Amino acid sequence: MPDIYTGDWYEAVKDAINAAVEGMTDTPEGAWTICVEIVGDGASPYTPDSGMRRFLIRIEQGRCLWYRELEADPDKKLDYRFTGDASVFDGIAAGLDDPIEVVLHGAIKVRGDMRFLLRQAELVNVLLGAYTSGVDTTWPQGRPPYGAVETAAS
Amino acid sequence: MTRKSCDVVIIGAGHNGLTLGAYLARSGLDVMVLERRHEEGGGLCTEEVTLPGFLHNIHANYHTFVGMAPPVTDLDVRGHGIEYVRPEVQMASVFDDETALCIYEDIDRTVDAMAEFSADDAATFKRLYDEAHGFVDLLLGTLMYQPPLSVKELTKALSTFGVDKRSEFLSVKLRRETINQFLDQHFTNPKIKAHLAFHGAVCSYTNDVMGLAIGFPLLVGKINNWHLCIGGSHRLAHALWRDLAQHGGVMISDAEVDRILVDGNRAVGVRLSDGTEIEARKLVASTVSAEQTFLEFMDESIVGAELTHKVRTEVKHKDWSLFSVHLAMAALPQYKAAAFNPDVDRAWVVNLGVDSTAKFDADWKTIRAGGLADPHPNAAVNSLYDPTDAPEGFYTGLLRQFAPYALADGGEGTWDGIGRAYGHRCIEAWRRYAPNITDDALVDWDVFTPYDIARKLPNMVKGDWMMGEISLANMLDQRPLPELGQYRTPIDGLYMAGSTQHPHGFITFGPGYNALQVIADDLNIDKWWAQV
Amino acid sequence: MVTRTYDAVVIGAGHNGLCLAAYLQRAGLSTAIIERRHEEGGGVNTEEPVMSGYRHNMHAQFMEFFDVMPMIQDFGLEDVGLRTVVPEAQAGITFADGRPPIILHRPDLLDRTHASIARYSRADADMFVEVKKRAAMFEQILAVGLYNPPGATAQVAGGSLEMRMQVLETAFGDLGITGHFVLKTPKMVIDELFETPELRALMYRVSVEWGLPLDTAVTGSDFLTFLMWTTANWKLVMGGTHSLAKAMTQACYREGVDLIENAHVDRIIVEDGRAVGVMARGTEYRANKLVASNADVHQTLIGLVGEEHLSPLWAKRAKDYRFGPSHVLATPMFCLYDAPEYKSAKWDPEINRTFYTAVGYDGPDDMARYIRDAYSGLLPKPAGGLWVNSLWDKSQAPPGRHSATGWYFFPVASELSPEEWTEVREDFNERFIDVWADFAPNMTRDNIIAHKLYTPDQMERKNLMREGDFSHGEFVPDQQGANRPFPEASNYLTEIDSLYLCGSSTYPGGGVHAACGYNAYKKIAEDFGLPSPIAPGRSY
Repeated sequence: MPDIYTGDWYEAVKDAINAAVEGMTDTPEGAWTICVEIVGDGASPYTPDSGMRRFLIRIEQGRCLWYRELEADPDKKLDYRFTGDASVFDGIAAGLDDPIEVVLHGAIKVRGDMRFLLRQAELVNVLLGAYTSGVDTTWPQGRPPYGAVETAAS
Repeated sequence: MTRKSCDVVIIGAGHNGLTLGAYLARSGLDVMVLERRHEEGGGLCTEEVTLPGFLHNIHANYHTFVGMAPPVTDLDVRGHGIEYVRPEVQMASVFDDETALCIYEDIDRTVDAMAEFSADDAATFKRLYDEAHGFVDLLLGTLMYQPPLSVKELTKALSTFGVDKRSEFLSVKLRRETINQFLDQHFTNPKIKAHLAFHGAVCSYTNDVMGLAIGFPLLVGKINNWHLCIGGSHRLAHALWRDLAQHGGVMISDAEVDRILVDGNRAVGVRLSDGTEIEARKLVASTVSAEQTFLEFMDESIVGAELTHKVRTEVKHKDWSLFSVHLAMAALPQYKAAAFNPDVDRAWVVNLGVDSTAKFDADWKTIRAGGLADPHPNAAVNSLYDPTDAPEGFYTGLLRQFAPYALADGGEGTWDGIGRAYGHRCIEAWRRYAPNITDDALVDWDVFTPYDIARKLPNMVKGDWMMGEISLANMLDQRPLPELGQYRTPIDGLYMAGSTQHPHGFITFGPGYNALQVIADDLNIDKWWAQV
Repeated sequence: MVTRTYDAVVIGAGHNGLCLAAYLQRAGLSTAIIERRHEEGGGVNTEEPVMSGYRHNMHAQFMEFFDVMPMIQDFGLEDVGLRTVVPEAQAGITFADGRPPIILHRPDLLDRTHASIARYSRADADMFVEVKKRAAMFEQILAVGLYNPPGATAQVAGGSLEMRMQVLETAFGDLGITGHFVLKTPKMVIDELFETPELRALMYRVSVEWGLPLDTAVTGSDFLTFLMWTTANWKLVMGGTHSLAKAMTQACYREGVDLIENAHVDRIIVEDGRAVGVMARGTEYRANKLVASNADVHQTLIGLVGEEHLSPLWAKRAKDYRFGPSHVLATPMFCLYDAPEYKSAKWDPEINRTFYTAVGYDGPDDMARYIRDAYSGLLPKPAGGLWVNSLWDKSQAPPGRHSATGWYFFPVASELSPEEWTEVREDFNERFIDVWADFAPNMTRDNIIAHKLYTPDQMERKNLMREGDFSHGEFVPDQQGANRPFPEASNYLTEIDSLYLCGSSTYPGGGVHAACGYNAYKKIAEDFGLPSPIAPGRSY
């Protein structure tokens, strides 16, 4: 039961993703570096209001190899960048919002080669599924839409 | 010309050729862009065809991909002097009952204007716009500015992502529908439908063609993104040329390519019609038509019998073209419909008197049979938003009427005899809605027929200003032919980079930009422009 | 208000402005050109104003200075697209009664020129060829004169009367052309050298076309040197003369010049007697070092600076500067199925492939009347000089078709009312076509697909060439040489500090030589300590 955006939480997400991908037969060859940018929007208590949290994620053969939180824009060459408001990302992690719909409506901007994401739609679905419902997340400062405070004990 | 060798030869200095050239020059390659005409720009063509001081955009007038096309920023076109204006009243339709529907830059005002005709349709339009606007960025910015997927791949992805369930308007079944069907499903008011169909047609998405509904939500998503290039569209050609030249490339005008030189199966240069041979050490990219490239510039022995045959018989061209009247005017149009909505007098482009999609359908039928439709052109007055395009106190106008390339009566050659008379009829049609456009209000005018398009810009085969039909069968990786759909050709080192390719004609920068991605992959060029 | 700052601001992207800007930028000055039109090149323009695919040079037609023009060499214009051809048969005159034509060939084919003239007079042929040969020897001397500010070096055209007399005496004295020929008018020189009426008629027109009015005294040495050097030494720019402007523009781009179009300069900003920038379309273009104007002297000083900044003498001089009637031309443009086939071709078929052909004249009196009519404000009879450039350059017309462009000598723009000019545009070409068919029977209405006439009033509007004067000011001795535009302004610097002139109203005047821009650079280089533009191996 890790807290959202903690090291444990990401480890759990990583495990969930890799477990989900395990069952897939035709995961794509290759490696991808992805940056997720969570932009403080005043609504989410997990990202400073005018700040941004950046996470770098490495995917190889469909599996998540590692992740890390960054202080600044990565100097690495990226394959994808997902940018959106913190409350939108929170809502997805909490399973409240549908990530596809969010992207369709432009609430999360995707940069990078969309062709690959479209060709690997099934993998993307699996990854998103693991992300949204693979981890039993706790929300120490309130679960979106940021109601009652949850504690690790509750 | 003393230069006889370079890394890259690009055939055609239209906006795609110049764009590709500028990126490659910025990547450190030695680039020559060869242009047949005495002017660069291709469809970015602004000339004083009536009187000195009146700047007429002969082809491209509407720049609808500003803010979306990466080259606008990557090549710093604004730094090269381009000023874009996004007219406050983007377009309008005026109807026989003296009402008018305006599309504003401000979408809420657009919705209010629509509500005058139908509150339900206005609400639907708002939802459609919002939804489409959400994925415009995603789809245009990624799908349009990348080498294409197939329709099949796209359909599969959209199904896997369950887009049908998640979207009110976007659906995989749109690929089996016409824009008319889409409009009929979602809208009720014939005038609103007619205007939306008009907007599609101006972008070459003909409302009665099966499958084109797939692109329609995207069109709506940028319905208020029409930009005017101050000083004429040709300014953009200067800006791109300047970027090319500042980075060491050269554009040579009056350099008509006669042959693509092939050694083994590799394109190694070109020969000009004056006999000059220019070596291309790395690649040749053609931005002109498939017919010119594969039938005129190379022999069948090189191209192969099958591809030659396909280019000859299977490349699809638009089944309608554009007839233009360029006007030097002493008055701005004052529409009767201004009593209904005064903003119509400030609309950049006004569609005249099409109050139902059925009227369009009837016209397409006439036009495809090689006939002249009873004109109800659209009228653009750039001077409303560009003070530099006419002498003080005067205005520059443009009437555009959908028309056939070849007339049933005598073919395209007939245009030379009847152009002026048809121009008269177009002006009379305008006058019915804006009675102040009297003979006295017209200082001079000139026509530009579909035949003129082909004569001025032979890459626009049969006056096909999109350089290839807009249809499902000629889209994405099928454009212009499946074997040419990814910018590469069967000849090593020869690429297609013009509007024959995905996405299509119009000032999209897409074909040149996408060809660049493929070339960069093949040549191991660092994609400094790729901003992920 | 937006302000943009440069070292140098050049007003006008005519070929002189482009030339000056390229040298300034190369010398390290950040330079902007502010151009009113949407196209660069000014009078060096080629358009398709009649029909798609038929190109016409609207102003400048033939190029006579390319062999000596520094910018072509210094900026590698041939590498960026400048290409020329030199048609063998250069200048001809043809006749309605089918008399033999006279055809002047290019300098390496003087034997053919000789043969053509000799059909009428061996003496004239000898004289013409001899004078032409000697004039050619002046090329480098004339180039030095052209590409230096007036008075800077010993100049044939701009030098003192005594010097010019001495030069003529030395060069041509044995031909009977003694020093006093300096004092003559071109017509006198032509009449005294040549007895053949047909040759006289052709040379009258060539003289006027080049910028030497027929009846202006004290221009005899200009005729014998400059005119005889350049006559029938003409290049055709492939693609149209605008290709030169394109190549110059590309050179400017490559140097980093900022070329701003569609920006009509409203005024030159003068602070404490110094030009510090210009205002155009609401933007202030500041110039840290200098402003240079490719516009004419009247427009620059009276229109853009304003009399309030000028001394009474300079204001008066600028206003007294005269435009036309020399070099006031109308440009007829024809789209043709077939190129003209002249009756005179039965004597010499080359007349059908001559670069420039005078059509509509019977002889010298007729030609002189034509010229004098135009000069005195009358519409002359329909006749003109014609170029069918599609004969050499296929790009000028669709396959198998031809484009023809001409020059009529016309009165200055202000002689006719706007309505009268409209009428002229409507019917003058029609009248000319009737005449043309007398000379070339295939020039029937059936052979002419379309045509248009571009008149001096339109040139005034298009390129702000006052009165439709191609050369930015009358070509007569009091406005030539060190007197151009007037003595006090002849070294390119005006009385406004750091405001320079670089257009055709400065020495050496109109014509596509870019010498005004080049010389203005020399003066500016001297004033600001910039590098000399003189390339190794060139003496100017």
